[in-house]
Parts: sequence; C-alpha cells; structure tokens
Amino acid sequence: MPDQGILLLARAVSRDLLLAASDLVEVLPAGPIAPLPGPLPGIAGVILHQGEFLPVLDWAALPGETAPARPTVAMAILKRRLALPLEFLSGALEGGRENLKVEPPGADPWAPFMVCACVVEGPPLPLLDSDKLIDWLHQRRAGR
Amino acid sequence: MDQPFEDVWAEWEDLFGQARQTLASLKESQPAHVVQAGVNALFRTTHTLKGMAGMLGFPSFSRAAHRMEDIFDLMRKGRLRSTDSLVETLEAGMQALESGFDGLKRGRPEPEDYLQGLRRELGELEALARPAAGESQDLSALLDLPAEPLKALSDYERTRVTSALMDGVPIHGLAICLDFATFDDRLRRFSEGLARQGEIISTLPWEVPEEREGLAFMILLAGPSLALDGISVEPGEILESRVLAAPEWVPKSLRAEILAEPEPGTAPAAEPQPEPSPAVPVQETEILRLPAQRVEALEARLMSVAQMRDAVSGLLRKATQAQAEDPLGILGRMEEGLLDVQKALLQMRMVKVDTLFSRLEPMVRTLSRDMGKPVRLTLQGGDLEIERGIVGRLGEPFLHLVRNAMDHGLEPPEERRAMGKSEAGTLRITASRRGRIIRFDIRDDGRGFDLARIEEKGLAMGLLQPGISVSQERLHRLALEPGFSTLDRASHISGRGVGMDVVREEIEAMGGEILLSSEWKRGSLVRLSLPLSRVVVGCLKVRSGGQTFGIPLANVLRVQVGHDLHRGGDRIRVLGMELPFESLQVCLGQGDPPEGQRAFVVLSQPGGSAGASLEIALGVDEVYGRAEILLRSLPELAQVPGIMGGSLQEEGILWVLDPEAVLGLAMDSLMRRVAHA
Repeated sequence: MPDQGILLLARAVSRDLLLAASDLVEVLPAGPIAPLPGPLPGIAGVILHQGEFLPVLDWAALPGETAPARPTVAMAILKRRLALPLEFLSGALEGGRENLKVEPPGADPWAPFMVCACVVEGPPLPLLDSDKLIDWLHQRRAGR
Repeated sequence: MDQPFEDVWAEWEDLFGQARQTLASLKESQPAHVVQAGVNALFRTTHTLKGMAGMLGFPSFSRAAHRMEDIFDLMRKGRLRSTDSLVETLEAGMQALESGFDGLKRGRPEPEDYLQGLRRELGELEALARPAAGESQDLSALLDLPAEPLKALSDYERTRVTSALMDGVPIHGLAICLDFATFDDRLRRFSEGLARQGEIISTLPWEVPEEREGLAFMILLAGPSLALDGISVEPGEILESRVLAAPEWVPKSLRAEILAEPEPGTAPAAEPQPEPSPAVPVQETEILRLPAQRVEALEARLMSVAQMRDAVSGLLRKATQAQAEDPLGILGRMEEGLLDVQKALLQMRMVKVDTLFSRLEPMVRTLSRDMGKPVRLTLQGGDLEIERGIVGRLGEPFLHLVRNAMDHGLEPPEERRAMGKSEAGTLRITASRRGRIIRFDIRDDGRGFDLARIEEKGLAMGLLQPGISVSQERLHRLALEPGFSTLDRASHISGRGVGMDVVREEIEAMGGEILLSSEWKRGSLVRLSLPLSRVVVGCLKVRSGGQTFGIPLANVLRVQVGHDLHRGGDRIRVLGMELPFESLQVCLGQGDPPEGQRAFVVLSQPGGSAGASLEIALGVDEVYGRAEILLRSLPELAQVPGIMGGSLQEEGILWVLDPEAVLGLAMDSLMRRVAHA
C-alpha cells in the first residue's frame, strides 16, 4: 500500500470506509444538496463550495448492494472537486503498513475504486482511491 | 504571497506582454523609425527587468536580462539589423526569460543560465555586431553643424546618424526658438509632430538669435523629408529647417565598402524607404494597477444593488398599470446604466486569449526548427476574453503541453511519411467558452499516448497493481502523476518527468479540470476546462417541472401565454412563422407535462450550421420575470445537457439554459416523436 498518511474513518450507505486525508480539501457539516435539472449517473446534485458548484456523489450508484439512505452529517470535499456525503465520522487513523494490516480489494464490489482493504477492527475496510472513483464517474458519464 | 511581490510580478507580466507584442510587430513591414522605436522600447524593457531582478535578489535573471539588453542595444545602434531570424532568436530569448520568471513566481531556485539553450545563437549575434578593431564608423562628422553642438552628440546618437545615412536616409535639422513660459509644451508638440515623420535622433540646445528671448533647440530628424504640415507653429518660432546630412554625402569609397560587406544574415541596406504613414503613432498604453480586492468589493456592492433593482422592478411592474410609464422608464434607464457598469467592471479583468497564444507561436516555431519537425500550428478562439489572472497562470502549463506535443506526440517527418501521414504535423489549439467555463483543446495528429508503456511504467512505480485491469482513462491520467515519464532519457525539450503533474496541479488549483485522451498513432487531445470567476447574463426567468430556469435574453424572440394548451410536437403559428413546440421538461429528460402547457418562449439560435437561424416554441409552466444574474458554471462531472450553469437566487438555484444545446435537445425529441408517430 502506498503510504497514505492520516486516514479518516467514516461511514456512507451504512458501510464503514477509509478516506486518505491527503485526498481531501476539508470536511464540512452537511447542508442541503441542490438537485440537478436532469438525471446524471453517479451524481446526487450539487452544493456550493467557496462560490463554486461542486458535484455530490450518489453512493447508491456505486456497484454492490446499497443500504437505504440515512441522514448525512458531513460532506468530505475531495481535492479533485467532488463532495462525498457521509453518515458518520468515527475518527482518524495513522496509515502505513506498520499500523494497518492491508489486504487486496478481492471481490469487494467497490474494488474498482479502492486502494486496498485495511483491517482496523472487524471486517476489512475499503480505502477509497479518489482518482479511480472520479475516473469511474467520468466513464459512467461518457458511456451514458 | 506578499502584496508587494504580487505587484512586481504583475508589472513583469505586463513588461513581457508588451515585449511579445513589440517583437511580433518587428516582423511586419514598417517604416524604419517605427522599428527603431520598437527596438528602443525592448531595450528599455530588458533594462527595467535587469534592474528589478537585481534589486529583488535574482542575479542569474538579471545577468540574462542584461545580455538581452545588450543585443537590443546593438540593434538600436544599427549594428544588428532587424530580420526575421534575428527576431526569432530574440523571441526565444525573451521566452526563456519569461519561463524563468514563471519559475521565480513559484519560488523555484534560479538556474545558472536562463539563456543556456540559446548560447550559440546569441554568441553569433554578438560576434557579428562587434566591430573589428579600428573599424567603428562614425558619419556624424558629415552633419552640417557647428563644432560645439556636434560635440554634444552622444555615442548612441552618433551611431544612429551613421546608421541612417548608411541606410540611405537623410538627416534633417529644425531649429526652433520657444518662449520661456511655454517651451516645454511647445517642444513636446514639435517632437510629437516630427516623430510621425521619422526618427528623432537628438534635440540639441541651439543659439538664441540676438533679437529674441527664449530657448532655442535644434531637432535632428532621420527621415525621407521634413514637413511642418499638421504642426501648429506660432509666429517667429521657426528659425531654420534644412538637410544636415544626405546619404550622397557619404564618401563613395565608404559607401562601396558598406555595400560590399553587408552584415551576414541581414537584408541589404539602402532599400527605398516607405513613405512615412501619417498615422503611425508610437503609443504607450497607460496601465492602471488596482488591488483586485477593491474591484471585487465594488463588484459585490454592485451585485447587491442590482438585486435590489430586480426587487424594485418586480414590485413596480406588479403595482403599476399601463398609464404609469414614467417610473418604469426611469427604472429601465437605471437597469441599462447598472448593467453597463457591471460589464465595464468585468471587462477590467479581461484580456484576449491571443495574449496567451502570442507566447506559443514563437515557441512552436523555435521547437519545430530545433527538432526538425515541421508543424502546422492552428490557433482558434484568440478573440475570446478571459481573466488576466488566468492567462498569467496558464503560461507555464501551456508551454509544457506544447513542448510535450512537439516532443512526444508529433513523429519525425520520415516516420510520418512511412505511416502515410503528411510530413508536417498538425498542432491545433482551440479556445471556446461554454457559459462560465473556458475550454482549451490542444490536439495533435501524432502518435498518441503509448498506453502499454504507461501501464508498464505505472506498475514499476507502484501506481498500478499487477493483475488488475485498468481503464484507458486511468492510464491517461497516470501521465499526470508526479515524476511520471515514459522517456528513459530526458531531452532538453521534455521528458524530465516534471511538467505534466505541474500542469495538473496548476489547472486544479484554478478550480479547473484536465482530461487526456488519445488514439494510438492517430493523435492526442489534452482538454483544459477552467471556470471564469464571473459572468453576468441577462435572463428571462421561467418555471418548469417545479424548478426555476433562466433563458439568456439574447436568444429570446418572444414570450407568449395564451388560453390554448400545447403539447410536444404541436405546430404553433407565431411571428408569422409556423414553429414546432416542445416542452422544456422533455428537453431535460423529465417527461411530458401531463396536461400540456399554455406558456412558451420562442427560442432562437442565430446563424446555425447553414447560416440560417433556428427557432422553436419552448413550452414552460410560467414566465415570471427577468434578471441580470451572476452565472456560475457547472463542473464537468455535473454538467447536465442543456444547462449552461446556475445562479443562487432567493428562491434557490436558477439554472441557466444553454440555448444552442436546448435547441438541439428539442430537435432530437421532435425527431423521436415523428419516428414514433
């Protein structure tokens, strides 16, 4: 696993996950998401961030079984201009091989946009790869 | 960054911009005195850059600027003549300084020699211009002037006299006597009038006649003739006007020597001078420098006033009837005035994309020559206006992208021939605007990205995992990773593994996006999408499907609300035309309104592909006003077909339609209706 530095432990669509702090601009309290005037794959709507519209990820569009949506408490803003709505924030971990047991993504449905799976406690958690996630969204858009 | 430094950088940017323009103008056919004024301006620019760099603690930059200053000095002294190849070398030199300046702005360490790549060319120029021992010519002794004023001529003025006579241009003298009270203003007027006719070489003090009081001057002008038409002359001001030296006075032996030994690489001298154009003013643009925050504060205030105006406008329109035209008239004029101010304010930040393109042309030419790769460069969209700050920040990314396209993308001519391609590669750079997004496409018809090699390198660098298939998009994006280069050895052009990540970093820092795509052996495309910070658009406000939309007024021909209900596919007679009706809801993929719609907007897109305009009746639920809005663009991932951007309003987000796209969507929908009928 490349050294990811500090990792943020969060939850979305009832699934615990890890985000590399180096991928983030900031984490904000959740606000209203404005729906777009037309359907877009993988995008739930937009928020205004620093005077600009920012697309918000629709977790339900990701492959795999999706739990019913729960209220969003925070919005993680990725450097690559995407907001991730989060249901819960558990805390931060120090990344690196010495602190975490790392496994390949395996058959995880989120494997196409994971760096790897990390064992913190219990089942392995997906560490999201923001580049792959955004590339995947671009692909969905292009293949629409 | 410190404010004082920002000011300095802005001033340097201006200096480089002016130098680019002046260098470009040197390649055009112009009267000698205009060329001379341009060379003088370049000399001053490099002199200023040298001084500022020294003061700020950039000794290498200062040395490099000094070297360029010396070359311009040799030009202005007539030791080097302005030719296309000389100007290209000078452009490359200024470009090297400008690239170095971009590095300094980013806090990078100074290179030892900014002009390293041009050492040979500059050395040759300096050697050419250096006179052999004892061979320095001075023809100023030919001037028909007394000894004292002759002594007062500086070395530079002597070289200019010599150069003019060698070029077959006579030197005229105009002696004038001016009153003490007004001499400075009058002298300036005389100088301005004469500068239109040639090069003013010197203004010497002159003897005041016994019967007069005041100050006298002798103005030396190099030009085909001296005329006083157009200069207002007070009685008694002119003392004399005569030819001080003519080219035929130059000794024959010397003329023969001059003609026999033209400076290598220069055009032959003594070509007939073009008639001086009466309208060749050498103008300097006054640049007003303001802290951006002041302009922003003014813009914000203006926007809030504009919002109040919209509110008042709405109230007035509701409260007044047809007879109360005066308040509405006043309001209308107020609206026009406010909008003009808003536009003027936005205009203050804007410059043409051409200012960016002008940096690329000489670089492509130089690279093409150095690499032996002929290239056809096409630049489109140079008339578009973008914010000055964006142009400043795009300079370095563009230099990297163009270098990469030339070095990695375009194949050598023999390889292209073997592939059945034209020998000259194509590099097309296009700027276009969609709402608040300005898009730059950099396309080449070269070999494209070697995705297999990128994958191999990505695996070696640990950026990819073995056994996991990777999309083409992902592989293209790997080229933007820090330190990523598929070249094993760096060339002096590119392939150092730095650059593409800097491009990505810079574009993303501006809130923009970069997308790469390519087709193996067919070519590649780099697309930069950048948001402009502000655009004001006049919109008609409508409601459709529970959301609010703005339709740019420039595309609205008519608004109509009737009793009849219309449905998609209907034909409506309006404005003497029969127009197809389609609902906005359908265009945006939200389905047909079940009961039809009574209101519609005639949407027009002038000058379609066939040059004719396209019109359609676009059905909406309600038309409820108009407004000038500050448009925010949607990022690439959130771009909805038919939507240009949005604006935050009291009632929520007002989505602004992209009229051209909506017309396209409407036509598609109508075609589908016909097909399913």
